[in-house]
Amino acid sequence: MIRGPISQAKSILLASLSVALLLLGYTWVSHRQHQVNPKDTTIPSWGQLADGVKKFTQPDRKEERWIVEDSIATGRRFFYGIGLGVMCGFVLGMLMGCFSSLEAFLQPPIALLAKVPQTAALAVYFVVFGTGLSMYVAMISLGIIPALAVTVYLAIKDLPSEMLDKAYTLGASHFEVATEVVFRQVLPKFIDAVRLAIGPAIVFLIAAEMVVGDVGFGYRIRLQFKLTNMNVVYPYLVMLAFFGFALDYGLRFLQAKLCSWYQRDSK
Amino acid sequence: MTLSDENNFGLQCQGVSHWFGETKVLFDLNLNVHAGQFLSLIGPSGCGKSTLLRAILGTHPPHRGKILTLQNGRLANADRPGRDRGIVYQKYSLYPFLTALDNVALGLKFDQTTTAFRWLNWVGWGKKRREFRDRAAAFLDKVGLGQAMHLYPSQMSGGMQQRVAIAQALIMEPEIILLDEPFGALDEATREELQEMLLQFYEENKVAMAEGKKPPYTLIIVTHELNEAIRVGDRLVGLSQYWDWKADGHDRSPGATVVYDKPAPVFRPDERPDYELFADIRQDIRQVVYNPKVLQRRDEHVNLSPTS
Repeated sequence: MIRGPISQAKSILLASLSVALLLLGYTWVSHRQHQVNPKDTTIPSWGQLADGVKKFTQPDRKEERWIVEDSIATGRRFFYGIGLGVMCGFVLGMLMGCFSSLEAFLQPPIALLAKVPQTAALAVYFVVFGTGLSMYVAMISLGIIPALAVTVYLAIKDLPSEMLDKAYTLGASHFEVATEVVFRQVLPKFIDAVRLAIGPAIVFLIAAEMVVGDVGFGYRIRLQFKLTNMNVVYPYLVMLAFFGFALDYGLRFLQAKLCSWYQRDSK
Repeated sequence: MTLSDENNFGLQCQGVSHWFGETKVLFDLNLNVHAGQFLSLIGPSGCGKSTLLRAILGTHPPHRGKILTLQNGRLANADRPGRDRGIVYQKYSLYPFLTALDNVALGLKFDQTTTAFRWLNWVGWGKKRREFRDRAAAFLDKVGLGQAMHLYPSQMSGGMQQRVAIAQALIMEPEIILLDEPFGALDEATREELQEMLLQFYEENKVAMAEGKKPPYTLIIVTHELNEAIRVGDRLVGLSQYWDWKADGHDRSPGATVVYDKPAPVFRPDERPDYELFADIRQDIRQVVYNPKVLQRRDEHVNLSPTS
């Protein structure tokens, strides 16, 4: 039946089956490849992958563990960028939603910024901010601000004016309407928007690191790919995927905690 | 029963006119509501009931005329929504992110504490919050929702939501409470329960008046159900564009005004009125207020007491 429910046991079984098939398929493809060329590194065997993991978890000649220095560098760039972007996007969105004059004033630059592909604008960031931390932070934050600000201000426009008028009849000040009525209703939608912004932010960051980085995930992936050390590249990709997944899960958890009243429309 | 105390106004509308471009909506509307009155406002669709309500609420002040309410102890222009006027909508009546209890306590919080107090004086705010929640809980108990205090609006039925919304407005004891077709989306049985609930508050008014105090609840209820208007209100006011404006020297309709204003029978909450008995009231209203073909002088069915 279309959209018919299935039992939980069945859904867990099917999920593990798909993971098993993936792993099995990889093993088979890798095995085939090594029969043709035993020294192949494009589709490493499980043993080669273990070597790769050892390579980036053990100290290298400079006594640095790649995984540690890459995580620190990429993580700092990412969280500073996301943090600044989230704050600016939220404040801009609130201002645009609450004040029509600011909406009119800010809409053109935001619409323009939203349409410029950040990866294409990399050159501009290099010229303006150099290749240090500030460049990454500026690029990520400017990349996500438009989407976040627009989400917030559309969410505010969506609020029925009855809810705001009623708050005034209950004795609220303008500030209280903004913080206690508008903010509370916008928050869950904003968290959703941040979840969606994580994907693009990682893309911008890795792309920039590939071009100008001297440390970080993007840098490492590009370098090891040039040496066809795919046994390092694949684990790095998997780690990036898990990182994105964990962040997404964390934000969903936060949303459930902070906005237990909220029910997504798609439910 | 109406109040005789002439100074005890909940609301005064003086010569209120409103129009949207060429479309005239309200014309020279005068309406005084006494503290403690339950006024049922009726009228054909498009007669400007909602316009009047928005004007009183202050979100859309009238183009001409004055709307006065008691604000901080003196009559003042109601040109923006304020704490002296409460509102219950048919939709969007509650804040979805607050439980029933917090929805009712919200007004107390806004009215009696400031943001700075809540953010800086945590101990004091904690104490206040407990006090507000206790009061809200007691009020919810009174409207029969003691069991549902911790539900969110999305978990409540339409009737429960409107009960909470009414409690949310009434706990503030504003000078006047506007109910904009509050039961329009409810089924007949739920409607009657909520009418009874409103009549219970009318009983409290009676008790307060008997003790010589100011009655706590004054309200205007807009409804399209004549029986509801008769049962809940102690005063029936009909707003209509169908009146003899030619006799007043207009060559085209200047808009709706009050064409019917009479006391209504008062019921106890547990009293199930025999609506058959009010056939002539309904007939009267249908003729005067709703019938486009019957045009009478505007004051023909307005009971002119010295204060209205």
